[in-house]
Amino acid sequence: MSSKYYGEFGGQYVAETLMNTLAELERAFEDAIRDPKFWEEYHYYLREYVGRETPLYYAKRLSEKYGTKIYLKREDLNHTGAHKINNVIGQILLARRMGKTKVIAETGAGQHGVATATGAALFDMECKVYMGSEDIERQHLNVMRMEMLGAKVVSVQSGSNTLKDATNEAIRTWAKEAEDTFYVIGSAVGPHPYPRMVKEFQKCISIEAKRQFMEKEGRLPDVVMACVGGGSNSIGMFADFIDEPGVELIGVEAAGMGIETGKHASAMALGRPGVLHGMRSYLLQDDDGNVQLAHSISAGLDYPGVGPEHAYLRDSGRAQYVSVTDDEAMEALAELCRLEGIIPAIESAHALAYAFRKAKTMTKEQAIVLCLSGRGDKDAHTIESYFSGKGYMN
Amino acid sequence: MNRIEERLQQVKERGSKAFITYMTAGLPDMAGSAAILKAQAEAGIDVIELGIPFSDPVADGPVIQAASYRAIQKGANLKKIFEMVRQVRSEGCEVPIVFMMYFNTAMYYGLAAFAAKCAEVGVDGLIIPDLPYEEQPQMTKVLDETPGAPILIQLVTPASGDRIPMILENARGFVYCVSSMGVTGQEADFHRNVVSYLEQVKAVSKIPVMMGFGIRTAADVEPMKNTIDGCIVGSHFIRLMEESNYSTDVAKDYVRTFKAQMNGEKG
Repeated sequence: MSSKYYGEFGGQYVAETLMNTLAELERAFEDAIRDPKFWEEYHYYLREYVGRETPLYYAKRLSEKYGTKIYLKREDLNHTGAHKINNVIGQILLARRMGKTKVIAETGAGQHGVATATGAALFDMECKVYMGSEDIERQHLNVMRMEMLGAKVVSVQSGSNTLKDATNEAIRTWAKEAEDTFYVIGSAVGPHPYPRMVKEFQKCISIEAKRQFMEKEGRLPDVVMACVGGGSNSIGMFADFIDEPGVELIGVEAAGMGIETGKHASAMALGRPGVLHGMRSYLLQDDDGNVQLAHSISAGLDYPGVGPEHAYLRDSGRAQYVSVTDDEAMEALAELCRLEGIIPAIESAHALAYAFRKAKTMTKEQAIVLCLSGRGDKDAHTIESYFSGKGYMN
Repeated sequence: MNRIEERLQQVKERGSKAFITYMTAGLPDMAGSAAILKAQAEAGIDVIELGIPFSDPVADGPVIQAASYRAIQKGANLKKIFEMVRQVRSEGCEVPIVFMMYFNTAMYYGLAAFAAKCAEVGVDGLIIPDLPYEEQPQMTKVLDETPGAPILIQLVTPASGDRIPMILENARGFVYCVSSMGVTGQEADFHRNVVSYLEQVKAVSKIPVMMGFGIRTAADVEPMKNTIDGCIVGSHFIRLMEESNYSTDVAKDYVRTFKAQMNGEKG
């Protein structure tokens, strides 16, 4: 039996209606991960369908400019354009094993929604994706993709009309329909066993990266970093390095317009522990204990909480969490486009921005491995309007 | 003895069924909310559930979500609701009061301070839908250490199955029997096996069994009347209040009619 907590974080703060559902899920998950056939199938789809393994690319021009080795783990090259599909394949295979015929998911930027719709099409399951009406507006391309893949996109109009509210609605629907419906959570959040499950299915990122780095450099990297919204790509990127004390782990949250403005999404910068979406973790809250709205130019980081294992890694000192603003992230994004010919997702650009800052404290021989969690196609409109507003892109 | 236990004991001795309503606190405003509470007490309500508005009410359907949102917009919060309870108690109102709230609200206030404040102002019970049995020790520990602290009311649902005996073992006050899967306010769309499920709960429960979720009129609970000890109306009552512009007369009339009909008297 695994513990439901990471230190004081995690747990199962859900309605009684869902407790037996979670117990059933936990049993099925524990059973699956002990079954070599399950892993065989998971890796088959990762290889043949998702296109793994993804390269660990040495970004030569960036490295030269910033004076330290920068390696990019190219999760942007996965089918559907981000790391999200790794976890979806795992969870949908588990859903099928449990005899469920329908899946539901929440989505913010739409990447997890697209990945779930993709997996549902692949495995012939009915799929409903909950998305805040605000996000439907700003991520129209992904809405179209989900619909083309046969999913029903449900517009959520409550609270802030974003990811947090879409998650609430997905939880409500799940409580009603759990008998035949599997809830595919995309981030390292939610009640136990979700955070553990998401980590298990995103771990492939760090397992590959560690081996690839070893092959190239014959040692472990000095710094491993990733952006953190709920924390799925970062927990996957950290997973296989957590027990390597020589490797510095850095999670980069979104500081939005600046922590001091209150318009940010850094749950761990000022947040205090709270309970939301079935877990106890750091949470942005107002003076009455209501959940505060997160702000970030990146829809995928626009979440007021953070996965419980990250909260634990922060408090235990194993990982360090920092934040960068919208402006810093957008500058880093432009830099990667021009120096390396890669258009990253705005989420991933947050990690890049901090890598540039961090590089200044490092030597030429040292190395950073950074998770480039997704590609920027989905953000084309946001990027265009940001730079045209600023007037420094042609 | 706790006010809830005392009142439900009296109801039982009379051979009647208990009636409980839920109202989001702070609507139409704090004063209006207190007036509705007192009007219901006058009309003979057995227990009042006061909903503490929260930004993310995941266990609630659209009616209570919207009410919760409006109440927050109007400035309702836990501190003001404590003051409201203190005020109505000081006016001699002794109706049992239960807070229906999400765990984060209590946690943010500080669990020990929260329990002490409840005891001080006269809150008799707590319903915390996102604090299932396994997560309760942190709360019950504090309640046990606080003299006069409220009772933590236990919820069971049609999906609880073999969890029911464990949940009810040390339960006090009443059992909140959720009648359907999902969230509040699904208009009499009870679970298909609702009667046998209620009988299962009744068989192991040492305390009164109250049915809630989706109930509008006494007729809705007629089929299971012999099994349950009473029922709870939430979303429908909120809608009535909204439609009548929070009329205390409508509140009184609804409580009197429901109670009379449920107990086989002339409405």
